[in-house]
Order: sequence, then structure tokens, then C-alpha cells
Amino acid sequence: MKKLFALALALCLVLAAVPASALELLSGADIYPLDAADKTITWYAQDGLNPHEKFADWKESPFHTNMSKQIGVNIEWVIPTTGTDGGTFTNTLMADPANLPNIMKLGSGGFDNAALYLEDEVIWDLTPYIQEYAPAYYAFLQTNPAYDKAMKTDDGQYYGFGFFREGGGWNDTYQGPVVRTDWLAEQGLDFPKTLSEFENVIRVFNEKYGAKFAAPWSRFKQSPALSGMFGGFAASDQQWAVQDGKVFLGQAHEGYRAYVSWLNKLWEEGLLDQDIFSLDDTSIKAKVQNGQIGIGYTSMGQMNNWNKECDAAGIGAVWAGSPIPKADDGSISSVFGGFGIGTGHIAVITKTADEETLKLCLRALDYAYTQEGFLFWNYGLENDTWVWGPEGIPVWTEKMANDTDVDPMTKYNGATWGSSCIQADNLLYLKNSKAAIEANNTWFFVFPEDNEKNLAVTGGWKWPVGTTFTLDEADELDLIAGSIGTYCTENFASFVTGTLDVDDDAVWEKYLADFETYNLSRITEIRQACYDRYAAR
Amino acid sequence: MSQNVVTYKRPPLLKALKRDMQLHFWKYVLIIPILVYLALFCYKPMYGLVIAFKNYKPARGIWGSKWVGFTWFETFFKDPYFFRLLRNTFRLSAYSILFGFPAPIILALLLNEVSNNKFKRTVQTITYMPYFISLVVACSIIKIYCQADGLFSQIGQFFGAPAQNLLIDPNKFTPIYVISGIWQNIGWNSIIYLAALSGIDQEQYEAARIDGANRFEQVLHVTIPGILPTIMILFIMRMGSILNVGYEKILLLYTDATFETADVFSTYTYRMGLQSQKYSLSTAVGLFNTMVNIVFLLFTNWLSTKTTESGLF
Repeated sequence: MKKLFALALALCLVLAAVPASALELLSGADIYPLDAADKTITWYAQDGLNPHEKFADWKESPFHTNMSKQIGVNIEWVIPTTGTDGGTFTNTLMADPANLPNIMKLGSGGFDNAALYLEDEVIWDLTPYIQEYAPAYYAFLQTNPAYDKAMKTDDGQYYGFGFFREGGGWNDTYQGPVVRTDWLAEQGLDFPKTLSEFENVIRVFNEKYGAKFAAPWSRFKQSPALSGMFGGFAASDQQWAVQDGKVFLGQAHEGYRAYVSWLNKLWEEGLLDQDIFSLDDTSIKAKVQNGQIGIGYTSMGQMNNWNKECDAAGIGAVWAGSPIPKADDGSISSVFGGFGIGTGHIAVITKTADEETLKLCLRALDYAYTQEGFLFWNYGLENDTWVWGPEGIPVWTEKMANDTDVDPMTKYNGATWGSSCIQADNLLYLKNSKAAIEANNTWFFVFPEDNEKNLAVTGGWKWPVGTTFTLDEADELDLIAGSIGTYCTENFASFVTGTLDVDDDAVWEKYLADFETYNLSRITEIRQACYDRYAAR
Repeated sequence: MSQNVVTYKRPPLLKALKRDMQLHFWKYVLIIPILVYLALFCYKPMYGLVIAFKNYKPARGIWGSKWVGFTWFETFFKDPYFFRLLRNTFRLSAYSILFGFPAPIILALLLNEVSNNKFKRTVQTITYMPYFISLVVACSIIKIYCQADGLFSQIGQFFGAPAQNLLIDPNKFTPIYVISGIWQNIGWNSIIYLAALSGIDQEQYEAARIDGANRFEQVLHVTIPGILPTIMILFIMRMGSILNVGYEKILLLYTDATFETADVFSTYTYRMGLQSQKYSLSTAVGLFNTMVNIVFLLFTNWLSTKTTESGLF
């Protein structure tokens, strides 16, 4: 296991050691700052670019104010009100297309309806302008056909600026199982790698410490969670998957049935925390500190927090990422992940920008994909928050290193949580603890010896980023696909708690048959057509 | 035998209005801001209801979007969850009315009988306080108490029940919703009844006492009839919003495991309208909601006028 960690870490460090220029980004030195300080553009950012909690608003935020100076244009930021749901805030804005900000950086959820917004002239078709006014972005897209494909419609129209991870899908697998290593050591156990070992650790921890398996629901409900070891692709959230070019719903798959059956067994035996459906990142901390959990499922950032808080409270708990368990025969079908192309962090330019403002917006967005912009978006200003380290990679200055606030880099950078930019792997190394990085390695390198197989499991099974429905498809889905998501989530809960007996063939058959009430066949047909067009791009 | 009948001929409306305005000019001036408010914020937005009959796309505007007739209503009525939403909404509302509506009346009647002012004020303060707790905080408290190792579960375990998270049991959602609603609102809602109680003529009690009525009989024959018009008006208004259960509280308390009993029209509208951008569908649901509320309002008002001779209109 240690060798595996060392190998994986070494691989990532090699990746991170590659200087920014290895991304083959165009320099923006001859373009920025623009001579447009007297001009103003409005820029909405749904998630990921909220000013740091220490600032009252973006006017106090160094990243937001420095951005105007770096680009050379006055930027008026529009940020969702603190505490509101970003998606809902965006939808409220989108309901009034005549008054949208010039740039709309959308959050999670994707932009499947790009064709509709282009047709309705809510957003600009960037195709005629992108090469001239966003040359760095265009050049970056050409470096990887998958990037280029994801940022266009089926008709080849460019419509937005995406979010990309420098290391591909590595950090898309940012959540997975976690375990208390101090308890593993006390019980003479190794990290569990298979289903049997995983279940054994849950049982031993329950027997010895009275602990149960638990997770924040917002993470555990996200597909596929741990269903991969059963050959599944889904947990609670509606999940569309693709295998050999065939689109299907993860919740109607046999692997899903085996997964929920296993969870139900844990539930019935009192090994799965009864509060799991209502736990969040905050409420689970009490259980972590009280020793009520020994093995669970969360993100690398949250695991980092658990360790910090246990350390501060003088609790001897040491959490580490545990390998995503495989079936006892070593097979696994899916892991939470992707290909490093942001599913939702896409910035579009709205028609409230006239043609001249459009060109300015393109320049402003293009900055993030230049060498200079890449550094600014990831680290802030050179010699202020970062300097070049001896190995030719950025390191924090004392100002940053001594800042004890939570995630202090978000005061100065915009790439930490995702936006229309490229996130540097090195930023993640600087931000996270060694344990968190090791956890990410453990979760991502499912098949470290076989890259192709690894990519298939971490991202290849997912409904791809950048698909676009036609206007008719979007309209039809509006009519028929409204409730299928609810059917998935509530049945997951019913199966896990035993309200419905998933092991009863009659119950399972009825569950599958009832999907037709929710138009599963027709929705699958539409999605298959959409996927086929995407694949043919 | 012929009879001379004196008939009163009602003056034409405009003429009557003109005369009344001349007589009460300043009253009409004072009412102008209210009328403007109603016109701008209550009636003008109603034109937006037309999107319930269109495939509304924001970029095309209300009139530019395609007419689709009753398609969205059909979609809603054919939705597999329609009857469940209807059942849940009525159930939560009915239980809230059945138990939540009389609770403040009973509290007010009990407080009215307390002669120790210090005790009375203390009880009033304690019962008012939950009303001032924000809903989010109140729901957080409820969630903590309802956890598998929370207060209620521990009490249950003391009596031999297994440790259980109460908020994942669909059968317990309604009681939790109703009881927590009573806990939060009983004190505040009793204020209006206490005010009504203070308006009852004390001579009526004196007369009742002279007639030999004991305390209970005084309550039954003097106090309750005295506040009955207030009760009926509030009851009619409550019935007029029978389908408007508080969606914020449900959103904060429900889980995937309790959708079966907790999902209601307003949470469905929230998900469809604000989260999924299906503005036409959510408007159709809202319109249906309003129509049902109006029917209940009119029926209750008619019933109240028939039985107690007090009504809203």
C-alpha cells in the first residue's frame, strides 16, 4: 500500500513540477492590460468566485479588484447574495434576459440548453470572434480534442469558456472513503481494498468502538458513491451513464440493485448511521469528534478539516483516504470523477453586451488562458502572494503562508473552486495537506498500472460534458422528465431503509416497470440521440 | 285592500360615488396609496399568469412565447406525483388546522382564567419566544432533537423504543411538522384572542354569575360567544390558504426518505419553477393552488355566514 501511495504521489508531483508554460499557453504580455480602463463590463459569478468571508463584498476582495487592473477594463462583479442558493439566484437572473450581466459564469448543473439560448439570442455565438479576440483560449482548446468538443454545440458553435484542470481528471475524484488509521493500527487492519475487507472494517469498528459508517448526505448521495464495487453507476442522485456507446439510467441497472441491497443490510444490522439522510458537512463533525464514525465517505477538503479539528480538540483520530473498494474479484465499474473538464463552471457572454462589449468580454475571459492569466487566476499577483520557487514552480510568499484564515488563497485567486480558467495542480498541492493529496491519489489511481482502464472507470462511464439538446428535445424533456429524479432519490432511501425490499424480485420488477410512468424509455431515447450527435462531433 | 308601498330607488352607482366623495373627500385621498399598491403589486403581476397557458421562454417574453393551451395543467395532472402532492398538502394543512388552529384559542382561554398576573406574564413570554426564533434555527433545533441520538430518541429509548432518527420515518413527518408549528406559533397567535377577550363586556360575566353560572359555564356561554366572530374570521382566512402550507419549513425538514408524506404543492412548485426553470409549469401549479384556495374560502365564508352570521363578505 505504501508503495502504491509513493508511486501515485510521485506521478502527481512529476505532473505538478511541469512549469506553467508546459501547458503551451499563449503569452498575454503583449495584450494585457488592455487600454480600456474607461469601459465597464458586468460579470456574474454563480459559485466559486465568492469574495472571501473576511470581505463584505467584492470591492474589498483583492482578486476581484486586481482582475480589473490586470485586464485593463473596469469590471462590475455580480455575486449571489451570501447564503442564497447559487443555482436559484442564476435562474432568477435568467428569467430577465434583457438585464443580464454581460458575462454569466454559471455554476454546477451544466449548460445542456445552449442551443436554446443561442436560438433565442440570449447568449452570443462566439464562433466568428473566438480566434481573433480569444486566441489563447482557442489555442488551448486545440491542444486537446476533448476540450474543443465539449465547448461547442452539435453545430460547431462555440458558446462558452470552460473550466479545466491541469491534471485532467485527477482532482475530479475529490471524494471517496476515509478511515481512521489510528483505529486500523489498533486493530491490526490494513486499508480495506475489497468489498469484504471494507465491510469487515465497518464491523470491527462497530464492535470495538461502537462506530458506524456515515457520510454527509450531500456527498454520499452523489453518484456513483461506492456502487462501483457492485458494477453499478449510481447512488441517490439521478445519474445517466454510457457504456459502449449505449446510454442508460444508473438507477435502473442491476449493479445499483446490489449496491442498495448491501446498504440495506448495513442499515438493518445497525452498521449504517441512522442520521445519514440528514447529515451535512457541519453536523457530521460532532460524530467525527465523538468517535461515532471510524470509516466514512467525504471529500479531501472535509477530511482535512476533520483531521485539523480532531487535532485541535486533542482527539487522537487520524483520518486518511481509503482506496475505493473493488469487488472481491478486483473489478470496479465506476468512481466519482471526470476528465478534468468542469461540468458547470462555464462562462457565456450575453446579448446585453453589444458587439464592442462582446469583444472586450472575450478579451477579459481569454486572459485566464494566457500564461500570465493562468498564474494570476491560480496564485494572485507575483511577489505579493507568490514567487517562483527553486524548482521553477510557484510557492506562497510569507504573506500567504502566515495567513491563518480559512482558505486564504481565495482572497487573491479565482481557480480554487473552479471558474472559467485552468486550475493548476500545484495550487491543489499548496492548498491541501499531504494527507488530503494522498487521499486524492488513492481515490483516483484505481488502476495505477493501466491509464486507459483508469480513465474509463473515473470518467469514461459518465454522461459527457458539453452535450446539447435540440430545441424540440429540450421542450419535450421539460414536459416528461420533471419527476424521474424524485423517483430515483426517494426509492434509494426506501431501499436503504427497507421500506421497500430491494431483494424481493417482485418489488424490483415493479420498481423498474414504474420507471415507465416517468417516461424512462422516451427520455433514454432522447438522451441517446443527443449522445450520438455529441459522439459524432 | 290596496296598500301603499314606499319604494326606495337606489341612485346610480357613479352618482352615489360622486356624492360620497364630496362628503368624504379626505377619506378617498387617504385610500389612494392603498389602491395604487394593490394595482401595482397585486393586480398588475396577475397578467403574468398567462404563462401558465404558454411555453414560456424568458428570451421570447410573455407574448412572444408559444401558446400551448392547457398542456402544463395536463402535465401536472398526469404527473405520477399529482395525487400524492394533493394528499400530502391536504393532510398537512388539515392536521395543522385541526390541532394548530384551536391551540392558541385554548391557550388564550386558559390565560384569561389565570388571576396571578406574574404567572400569566411568565407563561405568555415563554410561549411567545419560539415565534421569534428564525425558521432556519428552529428547524436546526428540530433536526438535532430528532436525530438517532437526539433528545426525543433518547426519551423513546428510556421507554424501550429503538434508537431512531425521527425525520427519516415518513409516518412521523406530519406529527413533527404540526407539533413544531404549534410550539412555534401558539403564543403569538393567542395575542389576537387575548385582545378579543379583553373586549368582552364584564357585565356579561356578572350577569352570568348572578344566574348561577360556574367558571366553565361562563367560558362556554360568555367568553366563547364573545370571541366567536374573531375566531370565525381567522378561520375563514385560514381556510382561504388551505393549500399554502409553509414550504420553507418543509424544505428544511424533509429528506429523500420522507418525500412520501412531506412533498407538497409548494415544494414541487419551488423545485420546478426556481430550480428547474419550468416557469410555465410552476405557474400552472400555482394557479391551480389559488383556485382551490378560493373555493375553500368561499365555501367556508358561506358556511360561517349561515351558521354564525359572521363572515368576511
